[in-house]
Amino acid sequence: MAAGWPDKDDQELLALIQEGSHQAFAELVQRHTERFYRLAYRYVQNRETAEDLVQDAFVRLWENPATWRPDRNSKFTTWFFRIVVNLCLDWQKKKRPMPLDEDMPLADERESADEAMIRIQEQRLLEKEIAALPERQRTALNLCFDEGLSNQEAAEAMGLNLKALQSLIMRAKTTLKERMKAYL
Amino acid sequence: MSDKQDEKLDAMLRARRVESASSDLAQRIILMAQSLPQNQTLPLMPWLRQLFAEFHLPKPAYVVVSVLVLGIIVGFSTPDRTASKDEESASVQSFLDADEVPL
Repeated sequence: MAAGWPDKDDQELLALIQEGSHQAFAELVQRHTERFYRLAYRYVQNRETAEDLVQDAFVRLWENPATWRPDRNSKFTTWFFRIVVNLCLDWQKKKRPMPLDEDMPLADERESADEAMIRIQEQRLLEKEIAALPERQRTALNLCFDEGLSNQEAAEAMGLNLKALQSLIMRAKTTLKERMKAYL
Repeated sequence: MSDKQDEKLDAMLRARRVESASSDLAQRIILMAQSLPQNQTLPLMPWLRQLFAEFHLPKPAYVVVSVLVLGIIVGFSTPDRTASKDEESASVQSFLDADEVPL
């Protein structure tokens, strides 16, 4: 890869992608695949599906680079988070929710078997309850807690104002606290 | 109690497990894109801007073209007085001719 590509910011890479640069596309993909995969995984709870969805999102960007509008979209990641979330939600509407992985590995090998079992149960229940939340509450949680976006960035990604986002997170946490009472 | 619950829930939310992605995921995406053509359809405004940029002419050319167009418009919109002058002279001549009729 040519020297200097990692120095270019996302907007510069996108301008080059619009001119057909495969190198710029490769740099953008290598830079962001992991974080968008993590986001997709939160929704679908399955590695292959999450990978397919992220691949689909990036391929769509390559095929239709003019969908990125620098005058309208403030930041690539904020814009692309929305695309990935929409693909995940579309996928969920078409498919039945997948059962959680029965062979979920232990979170920490130093834990005793009992502790590990409780933790696994906690994680399963938490994922189940998050999956049962309304779409927007789930998206707010995923963006703020898992992707480390600031509330302002998450609000932009969801097309909301800050107060609306905070309200969604509060409602989601209230519901989860109620449903996870036994584990808290 | 509620604060403790909040903290525990926040900790659980932050500790959610994610299975690692395949190590070659990025490479697969890049390879797939290499075999696909780009659809270069531009949105309306950039397309219009590009269209005008294609037909960009220097300012004097626009002035000359504008003057020519204006001249043609003025030329066509001015009434043609030549025909009426002919009619006028014909009627004067017939008046003079009438005077020469012998009494």
